[in-house]
Amino acid sequence: MPRSTYSPGSKLNPVEDYSKMRRIIAEDPNWSLIIVPSLSNLCLQSIMKNFEKKPIFEDLTPIQKHFVHERLSTSLPLRVTANLISDGVYWKRCCEQRWDLCDFSHYGHSWKRLFFERHLENIIELFIPDVTETKTVLAMVPLCRNYVKRLDISQLLPPVKEPQEEEVEYGSELTIDNEYDGPSMDHFDFNILLNKLTNLEELHLVYRVKQCGMNFEWKMFEMTNRDCESLAKALKSCKTLKLLRLHQSHIEDQQCRVLVKHLLDHPSLRELNFSHNLIGDRGARAIGKLLNRSKLEILNISDNNITGPGAKAIANALSKNSTLLSLNLRLNRLRDEGGEAIGKALLSNNVLHHLHLGANEVTTPTAIALSKVLFQNSTLRSINLSCNNLGVDGGKALEEAMSHNSSITECDIRLTEVDEKRVAFINQVVWNNQKAK
Amino acid sequence: MEEVEKDPEEASEPSVVSENQEANSGVSTQEAEEDPTVEVKEESQENCPEEDEVEGSEKLITPQRIIDLQRDLSALVTNIQTAADAKESMRRTELEEARRLRLERLENDAKSSQERFEEITRGWSIAKQKLIPQELQEALNNQQQLWAVLLEDKKKLISDLQQELKAGDDRYVKDLRKQAEELDLMMERMEDQIKTLTKAYREELAQMERVYQHETDVLLTKYKSEWEQYMKELLDIEGERLTQRKEKVEEYETIIHHLILETSDKDSIISIEQNEKFQVQERELQQIKGTSMVAKLKEIKHEDDLLRNKFNLAHMKSRIISLRTDMKNLVEKYRSQEKQFTKRNQYLSDDYKRNIQQYECIQKKIKHFAAADVKKFEEMWLMIEAEVKQLVERVLVIESLIYKQHLGLAWERPPMPFMEHSGPIQPQKQACGPDRQAESQLFETGSQRMMDASVGPQLEADTESMDMETHREGREAQSESGAEVDEGKLMTETVKKVMELLCDEAGFLVEEKLLSLLAPLEKEEQTVVKLASLLTSFGIEEEDLPMLAHFLIKSKHQQREPTEDVCVEFGEEAETNLTSELIDPKHVVPALKHFLEQLTRSRRSSAHQHFSFQHVEARDASGDEGYWESMGNVISEDKLKLWDAAERTLTQYHAVLTEISELIPETEDLEQQNEELRLMLQQLLTSTL
Repeated sequence: MPRSTYSPGSKLNPVEDYSKMRRIIAEDPNWSLIIVPSLSNLCLQSIMKNFEKKPIFEDLTPIQKHFVHERLSTSLPLRVTANLISDGVYWKRCCEQRWDLCDFSHYGHSWKRLFFERHLENIIELFIPDVTETKTVLAMVPLCRNYVKRLDISQLLPPVKEPQEEEVEYGSELTIDNEYDGPSMDHFDFNILLNKLTNLEELHLVYRVKQCGMNFEWKMFEMTNRDCESLAKALKSCKTLKLLRLHQSHIEDQQCRVLVKHLLDHPSLRELNFSHNLIGDRGARAIGKLLNRSKLEILNISDNNITGPGAKAIANALSKNSTLLSLNLRLNRLRDEGGEAIGKALLSNNVLHHLHLGANEVTTPTAIALSKVLFQNSTLRSINLSCNNLGVDGGKALEEAMSHNSSITECDIRLTEVDEKRVAFINQVVWNNQKAK
Repeated sequence: MEEVEKDPEEASEPSVVSENQEANSGVSTQEAEEDPTVEVKEESQENCPEEDEVEGSEKLITPQRIIDLQRDLSALVTNIQTAADAKESMRRTELEEARRLRLERLENDAKSSQERFEEITRGWSIAKQKLIPQELQEALNNQQQLWAVLLEDKKKLISDLQQELKAGDDRYVKDLRKQAEELDLMMERMEDQIKTLTKAYREELAQMERVYQHETDVLLTKYKSEWEQYMKELLDIEGERLTQRKEKVEEYETIIHHLILETSDKDSIISIEQNEKFQVQERELQQIKGTSMVAKLKEIKHEDDLLRNKFNLAHMKSRIISLRTDMKNLVEKYRSQEKQFTKRNQYLSDDYKRNIQQYECIQKKIKHFAAADVKKFEEMWLMIEAEVKQLVERVLVIESLIYKQHLGLAWERPPMPFMEHSGPIQPQKQACGPDRQAESQLFETGSQRMMDASVGPQLEADTESMDMETHREGREAQSESGAEVDEGKLMTETVKKVMELLCDEAGFLVEEKLLSLLAPLEKEEQTVVKLASLLTSFGIEEEDLPMLAHFLIKSKHQQREPTEDVCVEFGEEAETNLTSELIDPKHVVPALKHFLEQLTRSRRSSAHQHFSFQHVEARDASGDEGYWESMGNVISEDKLKLWDAAERTLTQYHAVLTEISELIPETEDLEQQNEELRLMLQQLLTSTL
C-alpha cells in the first residue's frame, strides 16, 4: 500500500515519534484500530455468509446473536431461518422489507409471529385452487406452525377456469344440485391446513375477492356448499381455535347449519362472529342450539336476516345459558316478537354483560320487557337499543327502570323517539354508574 | 308465450340483484363505518391514562370537562353510525315494502295476463268454429288486437320494472355516494375529535403549566429575596471576621519573627551538640559492628556444627529406627520360632512317651514269648529225649541181642550217664574247661560294663537275672563280680587321682592353644577341661573312665607280672590289690597305650558278646550237641562195623532162609507128588495085582 502524504488520520504522532509509529502501525496513513474489524466480527460475517449451507446460531452469545440479527440477509430461505432464528430484529427487518405497515403490537409484540402470520395469510390469499399446488401451503406448515396464532384472511380466490354453463348457473342460483357438478367454484380447502396449525387461536375469514374491478361477479363473494363442508370439518379438527370470524361471506341458513353442526361441543371456541351474512331463522335456531353445547362467550350475528322465530330460539337458549357474556343482534328483524322473548329470557339469565338490539324494529313492548330486566338484573353492563322506535311509553318505562339500576354503564337509546328529558335522565344515571365503577 | 311468462321473472331478477347489491354496499359501508368507531374507542382508551394523570395532578381544574368532551365527541361520531343504521333499517323496510308491492303487482299482472291469455285461447276456439272467412278474419284481427294489448301490458310492466331497476341502481349509486360522504364526514369528525381532544389536552397542559409556572415563579421570588437577605448577613459577618483576622495575623507575625530568631540560635547550638554526639555514636556503632561480626561468624560456625550434628543425629536416629524395626521383626520371628519349637517339643515328648509305652509293651511280649519258648523247649526236649532214650534202649537191646544171639558173646551194658538225666541240660554241668571259664569271664566284664552304663535298665535287669543263674553255677565268677562291686565303691576316690595323673602325663596331647587359654583357671578346672579334651582325642567315652582308672592302677602290678593273662589278672589282681597306689608316672603312657588297644579289642568282643548274649538268653546250644552226640555215640564205630558185618551175615542168612522157605513148598509139592505117586504105585500095584 503506497504511503500517501502525511495525513491527519493519525493524530497522535508528533514528528519525532513518526519513526516509532511506523513500526507499530502499517504504512497506510488512514489506518486506525477502529477501522479494523475484530476477528469475532469477521467470523460472524463468514457465518452469515455461509448461513444457508451451515447455519450456526444457537451456539452464539446473546451479543453475537444480536449482531447476526441485525445483519443477516433477509433473503435467506425460510426453511433455514424459521425454526432457528429467534424472535427479534431479524424478523423486524424481514417484515419491514415486505410490508409498509407493521404494527407488531397486534401480534403480541412478536415480529416473528407477525411475519409468519402475514406470510401464511399472503400465501392463502393468493392461493388459486387447481392452479397453485397445495405443497406451497403445506411446506410452510412445519416452519410456521409454532408461531401462527391468528389467521386474518381477507380474500379467497376462486378457481381461474370459470364453469362453462355460467349463464345457466347464474339463472338457477343457489340451487344445491348445480353446486356439486362440474368444475366447482370451491375455494381453498382449509382441511389440509387447520389441523396442522397447533397454535392457531383465531381465524378470520372472508369469502371475497379484493380488487376484482370489472370482473365482478356475485360468485366471488360467497362460499359454496362444498367450501362450507370442508371448512366445517377443518374447524372441527382445529382443537385450539378460540375465535372464529366468518363475515361478509353470504352464509345462508343451510351453510350456517352445517357450520354449527360441526362446531357443537368444540373444546375451546369462545367467540363466534357471523356478522354481515344472510342467516335466517333456521340458522338462528341452529345457533341457539350451539349456545348451550359449547363454551361460547361472545356471539355476534349482527346484520343478518333473523326475525321473530329465530330470536325466540336464541332467547330460549339464552335463558338456560351460563357462559355467554356478549350478544350482538344489531341490524336484524327481531321485531317485538323477538325482543320480548329476549327480555323474558334475560329475567332468568344472570351472566350476560352486553346486549345489542340496535336497528331491530322493536317498539314499546320490548322496551317494557327490557325495563323489567333492568329492574332486577345486576349483571347487565351495557344495552344498546338505538334506531328502534321505542316510543314515549317505552322511554318512560326505561327511565323508571334505570332509576333503580346501578349496574348499567352504557345505554344507547339514540334515535328511539324517546323524550329528550328522559334521555338526559337516563344518560345521567349511566354516567353516575360509570363514576361509581 | 314463453317469453311472456319469463318476463316477470326477468323483471324481478334485476331488482333482486340490485337489492343484493345494495345490501352488500350497505354492508361494506357499515364495515367501513365500524372501523373508525373502533379507532375512536382505541383513541379514547389511549386518552384515558392521560386523563387519569391529569385528574391525579389537577383534580380541581377540568376532569368533568374532558369526560364530557370525550363523550360528546364520540357521540357525535357514533351518531353517524346509528343514523346509518337507522337509514339502513329504514331502507330495508322500504325495500321490503317495495318488494311486496312489486310482487303484488306481478301477481296481479300475472293474473290479468292469464285471464287475457285464457280469453285469447277461448277466442281461438271460437275462431275455429267460425267458417266464414270474413268472420274468421275478424276473429283473427280481434285476437291480434288482444295479443297486442297483452304484449303492450307486458312491455309496460317490463319497462316499469326496468325503470325501477334503474332507479334502484341510481339509488344505490346515490347511497354509495352518500355513504362515502358519511364516511368522509365520520372521518372528518373523528379527525376533529382528535384535534379538539388534543387541543383540549394541550390547553389543559398549558393551563397546568401556567399554574405551575406561576407557582414556581412565586416561590422563586420568595426564595430569591430570602437568599439575598441571608447572603447580605453572611457577607457582613465575614467582613467583620476578616478584619479581626487581619489584626491577629499582624500580631502573630511579629511574635513569630521574634521566635524565629531565638530558635535559630538555639538550633545552631543544639546542632553542634548533636554532631558531636553523632560522631561518638558512630564510633560506637563501628565497634559494635566489629564485635557483632565476630559473634556472627562464631554463630555461623556453631550453626554449621549444629547442622552437621543434627544431620548425623538424624541419620543415627533413622538407623536406630530401622534397627529397632529389625529387632522387632527378629523378636517376632524368635517368638514364632519358640512357639514352633515348644510345639514341636511337646509333640516329640508325646512321641517319646508313646514310644516308651510301645517299648514296654514289646518288652512284655518278649518276656512272654521267652517264657513260652523256654517251656516249649523243655517239653520238646523231654519228648525228644524220651524218644532218644527209647531208641538208645532199643539199640542196646538190639546190640545185646546181636551180642548174645548172633555172636554168642556176653553183652555188657556200656556206661550211659545221660540216661539218668532228664530235661534240658545245663551246659556247665557237663563241660567246665578253662575255655569256658574264660568265656564266662568275658561275659562277666561285659555285663559289668553294661551295668555301669545303666542304659536300658529293664533289659539290664533281665540280663542280670540271667547272669545271676549263671553265677550260681560258677562260684569263682561270683566272687569275682562281688569284688568288682567293691571296687566300684573305691573308684570315686582313686579315679580323681588317676585322672590328675593322666592329665599331667598326657599333657602333650592337649593342644597348646587350649593350654594357654586354661592358664588363668584353677587347677581343678584345668584338669577337667584337659581331661575332656584328652578323652575326646582318645575316643574314650566317659563311661569308660572308671575302667581306665582301674586299668592304670592295675598296670602297676602288671609291670611286675607282665606275662599273666590280662583277663585273669583282671579278675584276680583286682581282688587282692585294693590299695589305691598310683601307677608310676613313667609307665603311664605305655599303660595307656595298652589300655587303648585292649579297649578297642574289648569293644569289638563286647559287640560280639552282646550278640552271643542274646543266644545264651535263649539256650546254650553248644552243650547240647555233645549231649546228643554222646547219645548218638552209644554205638561206637567198632560196634558199627560189627553191626554191619552182622547185618551182612544176617542178610545172607536171611537170603538162605528165604531160599529155603521158597524151596519148602517145592519140597512139599514133591513130597506130595511122591506120596501120590506112591499111592498110584500102590494102586497100580494093587490094581495090577
